[in-house]
Amino acid sequence: MSLSRIARHPLLLGCVRHQLFLNPSPLPGGACMRSLSRAQYRRPGQPKDNRPPWKRIKFDFAKGVEGVKRQLTLLKKELLDPLVGPEGKPMLEHMLEQNRVVWEFRGPECLEQWSVSSDREIGGQSEAYLKLGRNNNTCLLYGTLCAAPPRDGETRYSGYCTMRSKQRLCSFDRKTHFDWTSFNTLHLRVRGDGRPWMINLAPETYFSHQKDDMYSYFLYTRGGPYWQEVKIPFSKFFLGHRGRIQDDQHHLWLDKINTIGFTLGDKVDGPFQLEIDFIGVCKDYAHTEEFAYEKYKRNPEV
Amino acid sequence: MNPFVLSILLLSLGLGTTLTFASSHWLLAWMGLEISTLAIIPLMAQHHHPRAVEATTKYFITQAAAAALILFASTTNAWITGQWDINFNLHAFPASLLTMALALKMGLAPVHFWLPEVLQGLDLTTGLILSTWQKLAPFILMCQIMPVNPSLITFLGIASTLVGGWGGLNQTQLRKILAYSSIAHLGWMVLVMQFNQQLALLALVIYIPMTFSTFMIFKTNSSTTMNTLAASWAKTPALTAITPLVLLSLGGLPPLSGFMPKWMILQELTKQGIPLTASVAALSALFSLYFYLRVSYAMTLTISPNNLNATTPWRLQTTSSTLPLAISTTISAMLLPLAPATLALLSP
Repeated sequence: MSLSRIARHPLLLGCVRHQLFLNPSPLPGGACMRSLSRAQYRRPGQPKDNRPPWKRIKFDFAKGVEGVKRQLTLLKKELLDPLVGPEGKPMLEHMLEQNRVVWEFRGPECLEQWSVSSDREIGGQSEAYLKLGRNNNTCLLYGTLCAAPPRDGETRYSGYCTMRSKQRLCSFDRKTHFDWTSFNTLHLRVRGDGRPWMINLAPETYFSHQKDDMYSYFLYTRGGPYWQEVKIPFSKFFLGHRGRIQDDQHHLWLDKINTIGFTLGDKVDGPFQLEIDFIGVCKDYAHTEEFAYEKYKRNPEV
Repeated sequence: MNPFVLSILLLSLGLGTTLTFASSHWLLAWMGLEISTLAIIPLMAQHHHPRAVEATTKYFITQAAAAALILFASTTNAWITGQWDINFNLHAFPASLLTMALALKMGLAPVHFWLPEVLQGLDLTTGLILSTWQKLAPFILMCQIMPVNPSLITFLGIASTLVGGWGGLNQTQLRKILAYSSIAHLGWMVLVMQFNQQLALLALVIYIPMTFSTFMIFKTNSSTTMNTLAASWAKTPALTAITPLVLLSLGGLPPLSGFMPKWMILQELTKQGIPLTASVAALSALFSLYFYLRVSYAMTLTISPNNLNATTPWRLQTTSSTLPLAISTTISAMLLPLAPATLALLSP
């Protein structure tokens, strides 16, 4: 499907591109790309690497030893945590848990867990940067949005900036997921500039054509110096695929969440800022809704 | 689902298993296995959720691979021995291949990896059918091909009991707990199958009501995690009091029914001169007992000091019949006094 067809979606125009050309997450320690498809991706504007494969590998004994130590440490943690309880916490703590901070920004190493992208990758003119906020207590996503489409003859819409958490990896670079089944609400403390953002949750999928499935909801920020605490129930998240809202909706299963992302695509040119204090999950006892949208059947029931 | 379609699928499920039960030809047995696999596929995928479709696909791939292995093994046996009869003694190689294929069908370790993920993707009713009815046909085939490679069978049994216990230790998802419970129980059945098939059948006959009770209890509470189970005392206090009995019966504690097969299996293994295997199996049962106790603790033995971690529904009069659950929990908890009569029936 060409980009122009995807770009015609009115609601999620700014959010489409990043799902196609999201910055591939570099591995911890600066190791090489994981999959072949990611290894072949070259960001636009970067020079082509014409070196033969054997020259691209940097052999370094110290790096190898450090890598082995890191993986063995992770493996040891993975083996010892079950002796304590589920997810390394005692069972009582798991049962009584009502709130959990999943991401907080207390140092430069916290920024390593996030990747930032914009439509610059497809030839656009938006810019997005991520840095620590004041006193190293928050993170600040800032930049400039520019909705001018790239002049490639086929792209009709553009203008998005996004920040997405990297896939969590356990020992030997295996994927691990968040288990948020004990919670029902996403809790954020943010300070925006009045622009509407989209929050995207990506669960673990099985089929390759589900890899762009994303559950999204809107984050309306208040401009101004005051922080806002946002609580969004998971039942409000709707299913989209490559930016298109799906007809066959279903609620988000919380037992295998991979990443969270924030996307700005409101088609308003100019600077933007979003400061995030923490991202957590909590259990709202008053919220009993399972899913906010109608699950209609397209055909008569067979 | 449309009631006609549902009835066709359920009847096909029954047909497939019955066909396998009644067959003496390997092709017919294979056909029965395939029919039951294909019949449950629409039941698993009916909700169209991605996880349900994922579970269905994984189930189909593993079961189809196992069925293909069964067909290959039976064809090889027919080529070598000239016999398609199930009751005829198998050649060594096809016998081992058939054992592994049936182990894959049932979800025995070390080919058990599909079972927790598949059960996690299903609703409780379909998971119940998968854990109970779908085990019957491969189980009966496995009984009929005995005796095969004793080392292989013992390895499958011990590995399953260990994996079933270890794997379920830190689970908080109830369906995965029941998956590992299924693996462990099947391990016990397979261990004794080579010596006394009636005992294996007894273990299966006791396992089915216990699992049925557990699934129905979770369905009544609409719980799929341990945290939501903690609110069941407000929904169904009587059931909350009975559930530990069912869970401890699954764990094999006397004086509950689940103790009977474990006791007899350990006795048989000791009689056969493999006390070490019996000891390892008994010790591995402790792992399983731990997570059954943990579920009982979360559900019955504690009341959360803060607000309940789940919603309490309106306690309206139930429209569904509770008779099957009542019968199965009674069977799960109170059949141990029948042990002498059972022993007398089983002895030649």
